[in-house]
Order: sequence, then structure tokens, then C-alpha cells
Amino acid sequence: MRVGLLVTCLVDLMRPGIGFAALRLLESAGCEVVVPNGQTCCGQPAFNAGDRKAARALAEKLLGEFEACEYLVAPSGSCAGMIRTHYPGLFADDERMRGRVQALSSRSYELTDFLVTVLGVSEVPGDFRGSVTYHDSCSGLRELGVKTQPRSLLARMPGVELREMEECEACCGFGGMFSVKFSEISGAISARKCANIQATGADAVVLGDLGCMLNIEGRLRRLGDERTRVLHVAEVLAGEDA
Amino acid sequence: MKSQAMFFKARAGEKLADARLQVNLRQARDKFVDGRAAAVGRYVTDLGGDFEALRDAGAAIRDRVISDLDVWLDSFETKAVETGAQVYYARDGADIRDMVVAIARRHGVAKVVKSKSMLSEEAALNAALEAAGVQPVETDLGEYIQQIDDNEPPSHILAPAFHKSRDQVADLFARTHGRPRKTDIPDMTREAREVLREHFLSADMGISGGNFIVAETGSVALVTNEGNGRMVTTLPRVHVVITGIEKVVPTLEDLTTLLRLLPRSGTGQDISNYVSLLTGVRREGESDGPDHLYFILVDNGRAGLVGSEFQPMLRCIRCGACMNHCPVYQSVGGHAYGWVYPGPMGAVLTSLYTGIENALDLPHASTLCNQCGVVCPVRIPLPDLLRGLREQQVERHLRPWSERLAMRTWAWVARQPRLYALVSRVANRYLRWLADGDERIRVMGVAPEWTLTRDMPAPQGPTFRELYARRMRKNKEEN
Repeated sequence: MRVGLLVTCLVDLMRPGIGFAALRLLESAGCEVVVPNGQTCCGQPAFNAGDRKAARALAEKLLGEFEACEYLVAPSGSCAGMIRTHYPGLFADDERMRGRVQALSSRSYELTDFLVTVLGVSEVPGDFRGSVTYHDSCSGLRELGVKTQPRSLLARMPGVELREMEECEACCGFGGMFSVKFSEISGAISARKCANIQATGADAVVLGDLGCMLNIEGRLRRLGDERTRVLHVAEVLAGEDA
Repeated sequence: MKSQAMFFKARAGEKLADARLQVNLRQARDKFVDGRAAAVGRYVTDLGGDFEALRDAGAAIRDRVISDLDVWLDSFETKAVETGAQVYYARDGADIRDMVVAIARRHGVAKVVKSKSMLSEEAALNAALEAAGVQPVETDLGEYIQQIDDNEPPSHILAPAFHKSRDQVADLFARTHGRPRKTDIPDMTREAREVLREHFLSADMGISGGNFIVAETGSVALVTNEGNGRMVTTLPRVHVVITGIEKVVPTLEDLTTLLRLLPRSGTGQDISNYVSLLTGVRREGESDGPDHLYFILVDNGRAGLVGSEFQPMLRCIRCGACMNHCPVYQSVGGHAYGWVYPGPMGAVLTSLYTGIENALDLPHASTLCNQCGVVCPVRIPLPDLLRGLREQQVERHLRPWSERLAMRTWAWVARQPRLYALVSRVANRYLRWLADGDERIRVMGVAPEWTLTRDMPAPQGPTFRELYARRMRKNKEEN
């Protein structure tokens, strides 16, 4: 099975280990993984800023890079959500492109969703030991229905103890450009998320979207929490030497 | 009401710093969010209902009306006139004010008692009545509290004064009523009731909103919890209903579907304390009801949405669930939004009804988390509408040039893979240089707003692209 890995722009820039963790998870599940060389960004920032034209141009570019793959997989609910939920709408008025876009959209998955729903994975290579709490990132949860998939994979790991936090489905306050346009409001929303994370006493908060990760980790550290680790679900599932 | 939406950001800062407001917001959030969840739960477990199917049905009813709005308004008007009512159409707030003042003059009205009407907020009606020598008295407890507090605007569409604490209200009552200060809530509500009772009995005219108007019967449906709505609509000799043209529903059967959705979504009640269905003027032999009944059906920007990408907004039944569940609203409250309607629905309505150029912050003041969309009883895709407003701002060149330049440059670079690889590599090295060996960046010059409230975790190492290329080279050499 030939799977195209969309590394995502933030993983590329900030935390390459997540990309390698995703690679390892897919390969250990028997996939042939290709990482298209020219990939940059799915266009989500432009789309959410109201720049439809730029979003569409980037969508066309991504389509060219990935449509030869059987599946597109991204270690990010919001990037996968962009492609799966919003790409078709960008080409609603373009007969010629619509079919191609729809074909790729329906084959695009968030990583844990792909591992569980498409591959039916039951074993993961990671050997994490400790307590974790899971933050449901908004796009993955509400655009793609990613909820039980990461939890069911974590449950396969004997060393992992899952402690659910209050309001695990509430937004962390990131919201892309929102976090810099309205930094103080964002900070207030994040503070509540951080308090809910800390109340579980878990060693790590685990999640599936890099934007939320940077926001939560940055806020926890600013609030003086040096203890709680912030990990991408792929890092936990794949093991950290991926 | 004059919009202050351009000052969203400054007001939001004040609201975040208001410790008392933050406590009240937290309590209200818990009450409304948990309340809705429990009510939806009971609908499923106790009644064996399917709330998601109910949301589908609610949306379908609203869509059916909106796509033939003129036809349903015509049917409503015919029926309402048959029952003795008069039906007026108001284009905007000025029309509402003129019509209400004219009705008051026609019937020699000196005092008006009001039940909740957001439309009268849109029109700033109370000031117009006062200027015409008519005394308006708000009788919804929350609205009354706002009125006696120097006409402060409501901060929530269901609970206008919920940003105030009991102590603040106690002070206000003591000052206004000239009676000893009370802090026990039943005592305070009794006092308000005593004061308001005299107004009910002495008023010449009642003004109410209308949650729905029913085409089949020409009736208006009111969903209330305090009973004041019944006094306002039945005691005075004149009753004026002010509501939006989109509030029409075809049949009583449709009304019952929407009534299953509204209180559960809004206040978390299975049904509100009162549901009033008022039809026509008092007839021979009837003991109560008005002698004169007027409907003022208001456009104020609504008709312009029909057929546009924002048409789904007209489904709104004003339950407040979107704001109750919105992390931004929960943080800053309703006043920051600056006009009549706050929260996600308010960000959309304020932009559309007062002008996109007059509310530039509001569509951006959302994380697009879609918590609003998943609780909306009529499935309004609020994040899509907010994004649509952002698109309109871009198309109409209403965004700052610096933002546009940054976005265009970034989008252009992202289409040139080689250049992008170079830029991301430079950015990566720059961030690592800023971190200076630490795991985090405390002040980030390129985006100082980010590090205002949080650190920026430092990049883990070189970019994925570089590391992956190294790995591929190594694999090649080994083979």
C-alpha cells in the first residue's frame, strides 16, 4: 500500500521527530511510504485568513504531489481536515478540478484515524511508560471525528496510563493567527486548558496537532510548569528513537 | 444601538482584567454548558429521542421558510389580520422607532411595559420612546436590572445581566427603589416583582419580541421564564410585537419541533417556564388580551441575506448556545462585542447588519474551533460564515496592508518548493539562534504577540526536510 506522508509545514520547521515517528508507524504497519519532495503547506493559513485564491493555489500544488498515492496521511488533524473537509469547497465552481480533488480528499486521513480505521493496526512499536492525558484538537475531533482512534492505540501500550482531563474537547486557544491577533484572549483560554491538564497530574499531555502543541507547551512553560511533557501522539506510539 | 464593535480588542482586554466578571463568566459557563448537555442527555435517555435528528428537522424547517420568505410572510399577514391584528413592515431601526411612537401617540400612551425584544435593542427604542414623552419600563428581570443601571446594554441574549453579581444588583436595587438593601435572592426578586406589578397595572401599552410567528394561525409564540411576558401581552390595552421577518414558521407542528430545540439548547431546560401562544385581539366574552394588536416585522438587513452565502444565518432561533460554548465569549463576555448580539452568532450578525467595515475584528476573534457549530440547534455552520466574512474583508481590501503583504509573500514562497526549503531552513536556524541553546524562546521579535502570553518552544533540530534528505543519502550509500 503506497501512502504519501504529508509532513506538514510546522512539523518540518519545529519538530521533525514527529515526521519520523509517523514514518515509522506507517512502515511498521506494512505501508510503503513516500514523502513527496516538493511539499510545503496545505494552504490552511491562507484559507483561514480569507485568502481563498492562495489557498486554492496551494491545494492544486498539493494535489499534483499526492494524487498518485493510494492514501494521503498527515500527523495533524487540522491539515487532514483542511484537505478532507475544505478542499472540495474550494473547487465547488470548477468542474474540471472537482473530481480530482474529491478523489484525493476522500483518501486523506489523520495519522491515528488511518492506522485504526484503514489499517486496523493493533500493535505499535512505542514503549512509553507513564501517565498521559489526551487533548482532543478541534479540527481532528469536530471535522474528522478523531476521538477513539488515538485512545485505542494508546490503550495497546501496557506502560501508558490514560487519565482523562476535564473538558478534553475544549479548544486550547491556538486558532492559528488568532493566537497572535488576540494573544491575551488566547492566553486566557490556554490557561484554562493548562489547569485542566495539570489537574490530572499526568506526566504528559498527548495530542495530534502541532499548532496546539506549540501553544500548550509554550503556555505551560510560561506559567512555570517545567514538569508536564507535551508530546505528539505519534511520538508516543512510535517510541522516541524513531 | 450604535455599534462599538471596532473597539473589540481594547474592550476584550478590559474584560479579561475584570476579576468579578471573570468569576461570573465562569459560573454562567458551567451552568449553561452543563445544563445543555444534561437536557440533551435527558431527551435521549428519558424520551428516547434523537437530538441530532431533531437538529436536522429544525434546520429543515428554517430553510423551508427562508427560501420562500415572502410567501410565508404573506400567509402570516393574512391570518393575523383575520384575527384583528395589524401588520407593519419596518425597513430599519428608524422605521421601528417611528412606528412605535406613532402607535403610542394614536392610543394616548404614557407608559410602556416591555418584555424581552432584541429588535428593540437593534433600534435603540427606549431612547426614542423617552424622547417622545413615553416612559418605557423593562420587565424581564435581567433587562430591568440593565435599564436601572443607566441603560447598560445586555451582555447575553438570554441572560442580559448575568455579568453582574448579586451584590452589584443589591446595590442597584437599594439605590433605585429607595428600600433597605437585600441580598437574599428570593427577597430581591419579590421586591422587583412588587415594583414591576405597579407598572404592569398602570401601563397603556405592552411591547414584546416574538420567538416565532406562526403562518398557519397568525399567532406569536413567546418563550419566557418569568411570567412577565404574559403580563406585558395581556394587561395593557395595546400590544406591539416587534420581531424579525425571518422568525416566521409555517405551522404549529413546526413550532413544536423548534420548541423542543430552543430551551434545551439555550438554558438547558426541557421546556421554559412559560410558552405563550398569542392569537389576535381580545374578543367578545374574553376576559383578557389587548384591544389593539400590532406586529412590526423588521428587515434591518435580513432580506439581503436571502440567496447569499450567509443565508444559513437566518435559521438562527436566538438560543445562545453558540456563545455559551464559545471559548472567546467565555473569556471576555458579551459587552466586548460592542453591539446587540455577542458570541459567534453576534460576530456574524454584527458584521452583516451594521456593515463588514464596521466590525473588522469580530470575524477574526474566533479560533474556528467549531464548538458553536456542533451545538447549534439549527446547524448553522458558524465557522464557515466567519471565514466567509474574512474572505469578504480580503476581497474588499479591508485588511491591513502589512497583513496582506505577509500572506501573499508567504503563499508565493510556499508555491516554490526550492525557495520554501531555503526559507524554512533559515527560519529554523533563526529560531534556534533566538533560543540560544534553551528549549524555548521567551521573546520572539518576528511575532512579539505570540510571546506576550506564552513561550515559543525551540525547534528540535534541523528541518525534517534536511534530516530526511540525509537519511535518504545514507540509505543510498549503504545500498
